[in-house]
Amino acid sequence: MLKFRMKKEWWLAIRLIHWSVVITVFTLLISGFYIAYPLSNGAGATADKFCMGNIRTLHTFFGVFLTFLMIWRAYLGLFAKFHARWHDLLAWTNIHNLITQIKFYLLVSEKKPKHEYQYGPLQSLAYSGLILLQIAIIMTGLIMVGANYHAGFSTGVGSLLKPIEIAMGGLAGVRLIHHIIAWGFILFIMVHVYMAIWIDVVYKEGTISSMVSGRVFRKVD
Amino acid sequence: MNRNFKKRDRELEERIAQDYQRMVKECDLHLDKMDHELPSLIEPLAEQLESAGVSRRSFMKWSAVTTAALMLPPVFKSRVARAAEQFGRVPVVWLHFAECTGCSEAFLRTSYPNVDDLILETLSIEYHETLMAAAGYQAEENLARALRDFPGKFICVIEGALPTGMDGKYLTLGAKGRTGMEVAREVTSKAAAVICIGSCSSFGNVQAAKPNPTDAKGIGDALGIKTVNISGCPPNPVNFVGTILHYLMFGAMPPLDSLGRPIWAYGKRIHDYCERRPHYDAGEYVEEWGDTGAKNGWCLYKMGCKGPYTYANCAKVRFNDGISWPIMAGHGCMGCTEPNFWDTMAPLEKPIAEKTFGGGEKTVDNIGKALAGVTAAGIVAHGAVSYIKRQGQKDIPKPQDEG
Repeated sequence: MLKFRMKKEWWLAIRLIHWSVVITVFTLLISGFYIAYPLSNGAGATADKFCMGNIRTLHTFFGVFLTFLMIWRAYLGLFAKFHARWHDLLAWTNIHNLITQIKFYLLVSEKKPKHEYQYGPLQSLAYSGLILLQIAIIMTGLIMVGANYHAGFSTGVGSLLKPIEIAMGGLAGVRLIHHIIAWGFILFIMVHVYMAIWIDVVYKEGTISSMVSGRVFRKVD
Repeated sequence: MNRNFKKRDRELEERIAQDYQRMVKECDLHLDKMDHELPSLIEPLAEQLESAGVSRRSFMKWSAVTTAALMLPPVFKSRVARAAEQFGRVPVVWLHFAECTGCSEAFLRTSYPNVDDLILETLSIEYHETLMAAAGYQAEENLARALRDFPGKFICVIEGALPTGMDGKYLTLGAKGRTGMEVAREVTSKAAAVICIGSCSSFGNVQAAKPNPTDAKGIGDALGIKTVNISGCPPNPVNFVGTILHYLMFGAMPPLDSLGRPIWAYGKRIHDYCERRPHYDAGEYVEEWGDTGAKNGWCLYKMGCKGPYTYANCAKVRFNDGISWPIMAGHGCMGCTEPNFWDTMAPLEKPIAEKTFGGGEKTVDNIGKALAGVTAAGIVAHGAVSYIKRQGQKDIPKPQDEG
């Protein structure tokens, strides 16, 4: 009979951040696409409506929330006393393991890669990419928020990021890059969810439930 | 609490009053200095205004409006009027490079003259290729004389981009066939200040749009100098007049943004001043030309208005003596005050989301959808192969863990 050992994989802070990001990103994607392709509503008086205004407020609110979530995650990555440090992003540096992982994912070989880090080698690469995407989308977003106001925090950030705005070819370029990166998130989510399910099926360690309970099941030989 | 606020308000007021008193003093000193230094006027502005049928009252109204546009308090009204009277005494050399002369046209052509236009007409232009009677060697002599007579005193106004490719030979001018680069370098080196009129001289405009065969650049980029950029295609005369008035009043160019544009004119976006903005926030958009929304004056965002990405004061000062401006006339902004707007703002009559890459239907969203489709197909294939492989091995071998 197979025996399992329970292992704590995800601490509460990490799980909280994960599901907050899920809600935030979905809200941002939906409201973002609405802002790109708004629906025209002719009914009623103009003064009674504030549809675009409200959706942009929601988008800005969750955008800033995403910024704070990222800062929190970066803080944990640098100073956490539990298993959440940034070193896990270096899992890909073991090239041998990386190749084993690719072969395993491509169903070429049955051999599993070593469990050296909390992330798999490919997973660490994907997450590093996601962090870069997140930084880029937050910066472009803050530039656009900054352009909306004449005083306060966002204007300060906006003027700080002004050289980046100009390098991107003005606000039009910033907006386009913001839109392109949003698609990066969509593609990431698709692959991420599929891989989670696949790993759960193949490894039988309870990967999906681990993001709720925080625990995975490792086989004991 | 309330008393504290009152105290703070009083302190703030006092500080502002002190600042303005200092500014007024500086302004008066500088205007006096200009009175002595500048060459005298051929015809005083008052006479010119009278002959054009503009009353003193209209002129004072104009100075109040201009003071507000320059973001100065009312105490400066009389100073703006005084500076306007000195306007015609500033020697100006006006150069034309790769451009359509539309900016000069925009300044010169009016159905009836307003104060801005009249003041521009008083400008003591020593050299202006479109307006001057002289031609050939005589014209060159005029330019040389201006440089000789007013070294370091004249304002160099430039209209048009500089083609820098092939040693600048895409643009040669005058009887001696000098390249634009040579002329620009010589004149700007002797000028008190360089003002770029229009998007061509500011940022290159259509000459610098992709693929930019002549390697055209804005003056600042091409020569590596600092310029005051009155961008726009064409720019608003008010922004040019205001900038020169600021120079006359304070002896310096107004504060500039990081692209060299005066902040008083280019500090806020079209979107922020737009009279159709409430329709944007309410969600009322024009869907096609001539529909109900267009008749009701709704927001032009979905018709490709680039107001949200464009810094300019068009909505506030408008064009042709405040009669109208593009968005008021029913067409979206196309972002003409921004660098490389032909490339970054394209397509001009569709939202940025519909920008295509490599033509056809390749918008960001269509490319994204295609990639998502490929990803989904990959996922399905991977899932299917995984399933078949596991079905093939009835007794599933325990996956070997290396570690």
